[in-house]
Amino acid sequence: MQREEITEKLKEILLLTDVDRSLMEGDISALRLKEDCGLSSVGMLYTVIGIEEMFGIRFENVGLEDFVTVKDVIDYIGAKTE
Amino acid sequence: MKTPSAERFRKYTSDEVFDRIRNYDSVSAMWKAILPGYAGATAISDNGENYSFAKLEEDAASFRPLVSGLPGDRIGILIPNSYSFVKVYLAVVTAGKTAVILPPQLPPEAVFGIGMKFGLSALVYDAATAEKTALLAARAPQVALISDVEASDSPAPAADVPGDAPCVVMFTGGTTGKSKGAVLSNRAVMRGTVNGCYGIKEIFGQRYLLVLPFSHVFGLIRNLMTSLYTGSALFINRNSKDLFRDIAVFRPTFLVVVPALAEMALTLSKKFGKNMLGPDMKTIICGAAAVPPYLIREYAAMGIDLLAGYGLTESANLVSGNPESLRKPESVGLMYPGQEYRIEDGELWLKGENMMDGYIGEDDSSSEDGWFRTGDLVKIDDEGFLYITGRTKEIIILPNGENVSPAEVEAEFSALPLVQDCELYEDKAENGTPILVLEVLPRMTELGKLPEAERSARLAADIAAVNASLPSYKRFNRLVVRDSDFPRTPSMKILRHARYAK
Repeated sequence: MQREEITEKLKEILLLTDVDRSLMEGDISALRLKEDCGLSSVGMLYTVIGIEEMFGIRFENVGLEDFVTVKDVIDYIGAKTE
Repeated sequence: MKTPSAERFRKYTSDEVFDRIRNYDSVSAMWKAILPGYAGATAISDNGENYSFAKLEEDAASFRPLVSGLPGDRIGILIPNSYSFVKVYLAVVTAGKTAVILPPQLPPEAVFGIGMKFGLSALVYDAATAEKTALLAARAPQVALISDVEASDSPAPAADVPGDAPCVVMFTGGTTGKSKGAVLSNRAVMRGTVNGCYGIKEIFGQRYLLVLPFSHVFGLIRNLMTSLYTGSALFINRNSKDLFRDIAVFRPTFLVVVPALAEMALTLSKKFGKNMLGPDMKTIICGAAAVPPYLIREYAAMGIDLLAGYGLTESANLVSGNPESLRKPESVGLMYPGQEYRIEDGELWLKGENMMDGYIGEDDSSSEDGWFRTGDLVKIDDEGFLYITGRTKEIIILPNGENVSPAEVEAEFSALPLVQDCELYEDKAENGTPILVLEVLPRMTELGKLPEAERSARLAADIAAVNASLPSYKRFNRLVVRDSDFPRTPSMKILRHARYAK
């Protein structure tokens, strides 16, 4: 899957959560999940389940807390959907 | 003073189901009475294994002798949600002992502190919590440490346990925010268990999916106890990220959750155009935080009854439940039987067999003449439906049911040299989700000592470090740094946000 496509779909999922709307405009790859996006534990759960459902992948032996930035998540999804 | 009756719940189910609901004086008496009828049915499903009621009794019987002979009555249980927890808990309470249920995420220092303060005779642990017992082993050799896999060669049957014998000690933020251990008698736990059956169309022989912790009354009483009592199967979801995968496998009919989870399931169902709760889901019991009425309507459209309820740790979980959520979506329902209530200056006061005996080692400032003051402001309509209108206590209740005491969290940040004063409050994110905001007034006398270019980064870093050290549910999601003082009351206290933002 193309990087841009992954990014757009990830944005859709993040918009389901408690993330700050203004952060989702423009490039999101450098954002840090906890510090910048301010995802709560429920927000994290939305994101994990949303990603698994949207991309048909499964987080194996990793949790969202193992990722620092949105780019790390995009890289992971990219590798999983190759 | 009013005493609600069970009869007014009759119309919400068939006479056959209603008349099957009967109370027992102790968990042990209930367990002995129901076991023959459900022996071969699945009681617990966990980690790929199904355990029948008979198997659960067999395993509990082998565990009872390990605790029944111990001096003292309080047995700590430090085990995450699992079949093993159920076996140990059931063995302890049907041996006539008191289960002190420790949240499994407690740090070792807190496990030690509770062991001492509550005078535990023993602490039962499992592989996941074993390392948290080292401090207790070293400094409190009088507390026996028992592994959950130990078993006796001479099984013992469930004992005869009187109704007033303490059954469990549950941890609660109480009405002041400080963590306390509430003692619930066998009679109280059974009253909560049985009241959980009222006002629901189908209650016996259900398939429950457990997502709440057993260390919370909503998980222990409304999930586990009512599930056992009704001969239902309880599937233990060990990791919430596998929730919807577990649902697809187990196909539950019944779910007990906090509003945040019900809302998540709904949002994801809409997003992905399918019912994420599975085709068999019929009933969702929702509580521990305010339930948004739109959730009730949206679930009704999916053919699922979402029933709101209200309760406290101190009332063995259940005070009221709403059998008519759709008609009265703002209400937390009808008061359950077995309790008396009155309303003083708008505040709900409770008394009855469902109420706790008190807190361990604490003065109980919330009780007066045997009445428990809930701290919740209520009104009751002419049909007897209860509404929560506010609180007398400064506690933020998050949609996931966690209680956060702002004062407790603020004290952590106020301890920083660079922080003069701060306030934690609840706000809404752009999509309406409640979030925690910390507003900080920097201490300029200290901040001014730093080079100007470093000031804001240092302040942010110090605050972030404290935030990261807190349990995740107490962490703020947004930080606001003030450049002028807070609005204040005449006594110079911060005029709290909730009061002037409205």
